[in-house]
Amino acid sequence: MKKRLYIELENCIGCRSCLAACTQCGGHEERNRNYVYDVNPHVNRQTMPLMCLHCENPACARSCPAQAIQIHETGAVLSALVEKCIGCQNCTIACPYGIPKFDEEQNLMYKCDLCIDRTKDGIPPMCASVCPSNTLQWLTEEEIEQKQRRHDLDNDKWVTSMPYLEGATNVKVNLPGILQGTEKLF
Amino acid sequence: MAETVLRKPMKATHSINDAFASKFAKSMFLTVSAILVLMFIGTRMFTHVDLNLYGYMVGTFVFIAGFFYRFIAWGERPPTKIIIKKGIKLLFRKSTPKTSVNHLGTYEFIWNRGIYRWTQHLLIGWGVILSCLVTFPLVFGWMYFTMEESGYYTIVAMGVDLITVPADGVIAFLSYNALNITAIMVIIGVCMALYRRLKNMQARAEQKFLYDFLPLYLLLFISITGLILTFMNVFLHGAGHYAMSLIHQYSVIVTLIYLPFGKLAHIPFRPLSVFARNYREHYGEQSMKECKVCGDEFVSTEQSQDVVNVLGTNEIDFTMEKDGFNLAELCLPCRRKYRISRFAGFPTHEVKTKEANQNAKG
Repeated sequence: MKKRLYIELENCIGCRSCLAACTQCGGHEERNRNYVYDVNPHVNRQTMPLMCLHCENPACARSCPAQAIQIHETGAVLSALVEKCIGCQNCTIACPYGIPKFDEEQNLMYKCDLCIDRTKDGIPPMCASVCPSNTLQWLTEEEIEQKQRRHDLDNDKWVTSMPYLEGATNVKVNLPGILQGTEKLF
Repeated sequence: MAETVLRKPMKATHSINDAFASKFAKSMFLTVSAILVLMFIGTRMFTHVDLNLYGYMVGTFVFIAGFFYRFIAWGERPPTKIIIKKGIKLLFRKSTPKTSVNHLGTYEFIWNRGIYRWTQHLLIGWGVILSCLVTFPLVFGWMYFTMEESGYYTIVAMGVDLITVPADGVIAFLSYNALNITAIMVIIGVCMALYRRLKNMQARAEQKFLYDFLPLYLLLFISITGLILTFMNVFLHGAGHYAMSLIHQYSVIVTLIYLPFGKLAHIPFRPLSVFARNYREHYGEQSMKECKVCGDEFVSTEQSQDVVNVLGTNEIDFTMEKDGFNLAELCLPCRRKYRISRFAGFPTHEVKTKEANQNAKG
């Protein structure tokens, strides 16, 4: 059963468990590859996670002169192959979300690979495994459709692609506000 | 008459390219010709060709065809084309020798990934390079040995008597055993690499048998059969030499032909990292792009524009009409904050504050 990462942005409580979990993934060499942002830092405490959305037509891979960024059969856009990455940093400029990180000393780009050692076998990525507020979930297509039906408020607040994203992505996101007036069950 | 009017007028160029059907044909012809000319000179008009190594020669020509096929196809990709074109233009920068030695000789960036990985890569990398530097001159007759006076070898390079050394001296010893020494280097390096692939979690997460293990096994097979050949000659009085030399020869040829298509392709392609470094340094010195939101300089103007153009050829355009910038004109933190603003509807990127804790260290 193919599962996807699904993000319910407004649930985020800013605990940064996803960052900590990311560092502990087998392939990540204790460096996290995702982000948590304060939406309006001087006014309130709302936070939102930001991670690679695994574009269906990834700009990072398109801009890579070395073909170092491969796309896995599950749709995950993988981190740079260590022997191919030539350190030009085109990918960091190309990514519309500013996701790829670059290590100057190792002359190597690294980014979210959706914990490919786990997700290729259907195990949720580290971030979704630990998220205590159900911001990051690992769901089947049917479960995501159910959510979409349940939250279809006809207010443009369900989003899986444009205009809030720059193209179709494998990770599904829904916008804050979608759950207004519905009871959340954690 | 109408036909001639419709036809595009041919430009009267006299470029060497007009002589060839394709880039591939041109590259192949020039390379093979150059090798043959060098052979002609090196072997004193083909009088000193080592026919025992004839199989390697055929293998090399097939390898060159595969290499050009792969390299030219790869170089046609829009981002690759830019790096190659601008890289060649910037090849004679002052920093090029230093960068080249660092990236292609001493592998400082691999040292920074771990001393174990650096050691294994140095052993495999230099083991293979030195083996090639010994093997190919012998195959093409650019280097050979003669014994005019008993007990003394003359090393002939490119048809010129280079040096005469005693047959039991140090230089002679190193010459006979060069490939044995490099074989041992490669075997140690490959064993270290195999051990890492069995134990390291990162390696285990990503590796595939055909992509990551097969090249290691091929190198191991070549090195071991090569050493067995020496063993047979020294200790078994040459028993089994011919069979083993064929096995060894075939393993080298198969690896050589496979080289441009698998993981080992990074050997001929890696010099691009020197191009990339020059490209970043040169255009960075010329002019830096300021982030449209915070004003920080984050990349060279040239590279920012190149990336926008490359994405354009892929029909990807990140121009934000409403905000009046392209996403490639925003520094990374601002670009991430801008996305949050698109999600939340609040202009997060315009709040002048540093991004809070992004490393999960408390």
